[in-house]
Amino acid sequence: MNFFAKVWTLVLKDLSLEKRSREMLSSMSIFALLVVLVFSFSFDLRVEEVSGVAPGVVWVAISFAGMLGLARSFVLERDQGCLDGLLLCPVDRSLLYLGKMLSNLLFISLTELVVLPLCFALFNLTFHLLLLPILLLGTIGFSAVGTIVSAMTVHARAREVMLPILLFPLVLPALIAAVKLTGGVLDGQPWGEIRNWMELLVGFDVIFMVISYLAFEYVIEE
Amino acid sequence: MIYLFAAYFVLWSITLGYLFVLGGRQRRLEQQLASLSDARAGPAEAAREGAE
Amino acid sequence: MDRWRHTHHSVLWALSAVAIGAALFLVFLVAPREAVMGDVQRIFYFHVPAAWVGYLALFVSFAASLLYLLRRESRWDRLALCSAEIGLVFITQGIITGSFWAKATWGVWWTWEPRLTTSAVLWAIYASYLTLRRAMDEQDRRARVAAVYSILGFVAVPINFMAIRWWRTVHPLVFEGGGSNLSPAMLRVLISSIVAFTLFYLTVLSFRLRLEWAHEQVEQLGYR
Repeated sequence: MNFFAKVWTLVLKDLSLEKRSREMLSSMSIFALLVVLVFSFSFDLRVEEVSGVAPGVVWVAISFAGMLGLARSFVLERDQGCLDGLLLCPVDRSLLYLGKMLSNLLFISLTELVVLPLCFALFNLTFHLLLLPILLLGTIGFSAVGTIVSAMTVHARAREVMLPILLFPLVLPALIAAVKLTGGVLDGQPWGEIRNWMELLVGFDVIFMVISYLAFEYVIEE
Repeated sequence: MIYLFAAYFVLWSITLGYLFVLGGRQRRLEQQLASLSDARAGPAEAAREGAE
Repeated sequence: MDRWRHTHHSVLWALSAVAIGAALFLVFLVAPREAVMGDVQRIFYFHVPAAWVGYLALFVSFAASLLYLLRRESRWDRLALCSAEIGLVFITQGIITGSFWAKATWGVWWTWEPRLTTSAVLWAIYASYLTLRRAMDEQDRRARVAAVYSILGFVAVPINFMAIRWWRTVHPLVFEGGGSNLSPAMLRVLISSIVAFTLFYLTVLSFRLRLEWAHEQVEQLGYR
């Protein structure tokens, strides 16, 4: 099997697992919706221009829901003994990373598809095509780091708490860039002003994907 | 200026505090090491005394 | 061997004390009074070295983590842990002194501008690193996973340093292009302060390393 076929098989595995139980996507989506609702209520009572906080709320909801998905993705493997099975596969360990990262990316993106229309409605935002690559790049960054960090916490005590503690500081620069970019695009700022943040986001994605790809085998070995 | 001296004070507090904590751990570890090596030497000493 | 170690430690402590004493003398009595800010500017001579040595310590931790992954020798893991812990203390000092200086000159204790934000993030990363280590019991796995996290975390350091150049910021730019904005007298004091902080770091590091080694010994003996 060639490189892409292997990776795709791994992604399909996660997809078919999810199709059977459907629990992860639904819990992620509901959680994200709740986050958006809670923020919408709390800010609405104090802030005049609610659309100003919208970028932050969107990305907080995405990261919280994403955290949920990440936590489940490896724990499930470990609990069912699948991790050992995966490790026994004649597959490069780094490919396992790619497969996991892509399926996490997919699940978080699907959650975004559900939550974003609600955000647009509640905060009265206007859609802009540029938002799509921004969302994608931000989610890629989150998933790239999140996948390897969740693999790290699988063997730690109090792993549900450890994952956010470890992940947030690492992923914060990407989140900040994503929020700035989203805000900039929604406000109609000229591209020159927010270009820096895009460069940061792309750089972040590339650097962390490469490092995680290389380092993953050290994390997952027995 | 008061900020200068406050910063100076905080710097020293943190430094000395950290060193104090380390020193405390050092003392405790040395005690533990001493008692552990006594415990290990113990049975050997007892055997030697028994043979004499 | 132990006696040599003890002498070598005492020498380090003595050197540090001398360097710190000299630096303090220079900072408070020799360094020129700054025209605009006044004496409060002297915090700069503590703030900058603390931050720099903090970064140095975290770099050492990063390098040790890499070496551990490549060589799998426990002394690299020990070095990674000890340097990260000390680095965190220095970064804390850097942030706090910076905060005092900010209050004195900008009027606020904190602001979410890029440089400060990334400093806070860096602090959080290494605090998390130490928490991660405490949450794992198997020595081998803990060392490996912590090493990878340290490598991931260290990438934040150049981003932090670059932030001061990538965005328009209130944070003073001391080193621009080739030269610096400091007078030669101030530069001399700054350098001596950096030397003092670095010596102190090395001293505390060797002390901390010894402590960690003793801790490992106790653990091993305790399990027999």
